[in-house]
Amino acid sequence: MATTDGDSATASQRLDKDTRETLVTVLRHTVLLTWSFIVLFPLYWLASMSLKPPGTANSLPPDWIFLPTLYNYIQLIQDSGFVAAFANSLLMVSASVVLVLLIGVPAAYVLSRYDIPMERDVLVWILSSRMLPPIAVVLPFFIIFQEFNLFDTRIGMVLMYVSINLSLVVWVMKAFFDGIPETLEEAARVDGATQFQGFMKVVLPAAKPGIFSVAIISFIFAWIELLFGLVLTSFEAVPVSLFVYSFIGSRSIEWGMLAAASTAMIIPVVIFLIAVNKYLAAGLSFGVVIKE
Amino acid sequence: MARITIDDVTKRFGDDGDAVVAVDDVSLDIKDGEFIVFVGPSGSGKSTLMRIVAGLETQSEGDIHIGDTIVNQLGPRARDIAMVFQNYALYPNMTVEENMSFGLKMSTDMSDEEIEETVTSSAEMMDIGELLDNKPGELSGGQQQRVALGRAIVRDPNVFLMDEPLSNLDAKLRAGMRTEINRLQNDLDVTTLYVTHDQTEAMTMGDRLVVLNYGELHQIGTPLECFYRPANRFVAGFLGSPSMNFFEGRLEGGTLRADGFDYDLTEEMQMAAGSRNELALGVRPEDMAIHDRANAGHEFEAVVDVVEPMGSISYVYLRAQGQEAEGTFIVETDGQRPITEGEHVYVEIPDQDVHLFDIGSGETIHQRNLDREAEVALEEGVQAADRVE
Repeated sequence: MATTDGDSATASQRLDKDTRETLVTVLRHTVLLTWSFIVLFPLYWLASMSLKPPGTANSLPPDWIFLPTLYNYIQLIQDSGFVAAFANSLLMVSASVVLVLLIGVPAAYVLSRYDIPMERDVLVWILSSRMLPPIAVVLPFFIIFQEFNLFDTRIGMVLMYVSINLSLVVWVMKAFFDGIPETLEEAARVDGATQFQGFMKVVLPAAKPGIFSVAIISFIFAWIELLFGLVLTSFEAVPVSLFVYSFIGSRSIEWGMLAAASTAMIIPVVIFLIAVNKYLAAGLSFGVVIKE
Repeated sequence: MARITIDDVTKRFGDDGDAVVAVDDVSLDIKDGEFIVFVGPSGSGKSTLMRIVAGLETQSEGDIHIGDTIVNQLGPRARDIAMVFQNYALYPNMTVEENMSFGLKMSTDMSDEEIEETVTSSAEMMDIGELLDNKPGELSGGQQQRVALGRAIVRDPNVFLMDEPLSNLDAKLRAGMRTEINRLQNDLDVTTLYVTHDQTEAMTMGDRLVVLNYGELHQIGTPLECFYRPANRFVAGFLGSPSMNFFEGRLEGGTLRADGFDYDLTEEMQMAAGSRNELALGVRPEDMAIHDRANAGHEFEAVVDVVEPMGSISYVYLRAQGQEAEGTFIVETDGQRPITEGEHVYVEIPDQDVHLFDIGSGETIHQRNLDREAEVALEEGVQAADRVE
């Protein structure tokens, strides 16, 4: 008797456990689906708006079912201003990412590996460049740019983007280099490499995941930058973010074009992400070197 | 192949005011093909000394010769050395093959085919031939260790430097690799410096030991010489596991009055003690004996504190009856001998196994006696180590 009771007791417990697990699974998926909806719906809204024929993009209630058209995109491509701004941004932002890495990565390496006097202060000073709200520094920037003939130039914009991202690159990369054991470079030097070769052939490749991470974040920050572009450009060096903003007119908003341009803006970021995804994912676990 | 001479080398870290002396005026002659083990506790300066030989640190004073060259001004790449690091320091982004060929590419003008051939044969030797296309992250700790060794061997350097290469392995692998490194060093006959804090590695691996503590050189000698003829109390205590027991006491008319017991010095010991009125007596746990009853009057009474059975032997922690200070000493007994905590026993210190040390300097003033045969074997070992060339 006792045995039977015991068995049925465990059986009912097991059943309870199964039900519990099912409930947890259902709940988990509900939460995930809700979250996905919250995240993806605006993107869907944007994309669908860009594919609606003119005049209907903004209609209320929205046309849930409509015949998609590329009209807005064709308009956009035929708009030389947009194409120029897009190319402009691509060039300026890419150049700024290369430049900020060229300056920031070696700086981070030096801060990580050498005893710099007042190292802590130097690091905080670098970070402090981002502590003021951009609106507080945009006017000084404007005056400086005018003084140095950088106003409305691509070079000026590149330098501005670098100044925005430099502190991020230095801080993240310093932490990354701190995590790469110095014995790696020592091994390279014992193996016959110069200090510079050791850095180039051993440390940099090991830091690749970090470098690509800061590259993509720097790219995004520069790509979506609006305020400085608004103040520091007028015609020549207009970035695409500013151009998209121009669809919001004083009297009307060109919703279709705005949506198409915004969707187009997402594309380079996505391509960049896919291109470096392998390094972002593969990297961060080292596993090779046991920390002392 | 090369001999290494370390000449009055001192290394200070930090500013002149509060500098830390990591290596204190060490001089050392390492013969061609010799396997030298730097051993000492952490902070003894053994790693620093090796890094100075490698060129990864610059000494504050003194000269390093490798072969006939003074290498003080040369960087690591010009010294023709290969090093195995404690954390292996394998290049994470390169395959095993690339790891092994990196040094050859950097330091020689061998053709790609020659490099590949050399790498393959070294990989075979280390039994890592199948791993050549793997990245270090995909390997187990033991495999990474083999790759690290392979990367050193493939260079065919003048000198091997190994900085605690086995300390990240589990006990079983470590014992296996110990034998393997010994065999490799014998086969390759390359001058090898090996740093360890593990006295088992030190005893089993080196032709000669260099015992260091706080940057000072305490003794250079064959493992057995350092074990049976320790230069001072530090070496005596550091080598051997469990450590030698030390009993300090006042000397009164040929009797050492230690804490809790008296010990009568032999005439030979009294001669050695000279006019000192304080001494430290050292005797290894395996040389002491435990009796149930007092026999010849040499024994003293002690209470068992803790028993650690190891199987074939047991380590018995004891406290002398009437001992005032805290602390215990250890005696090794037969594992089959029944003994319980709290039991009263009689402990014998055989005269022939006793070392005496000066209280102040720690210097050995009397060494233990050895059997005639052991004495001869020890001498022969020392002479053999001297002959290596």
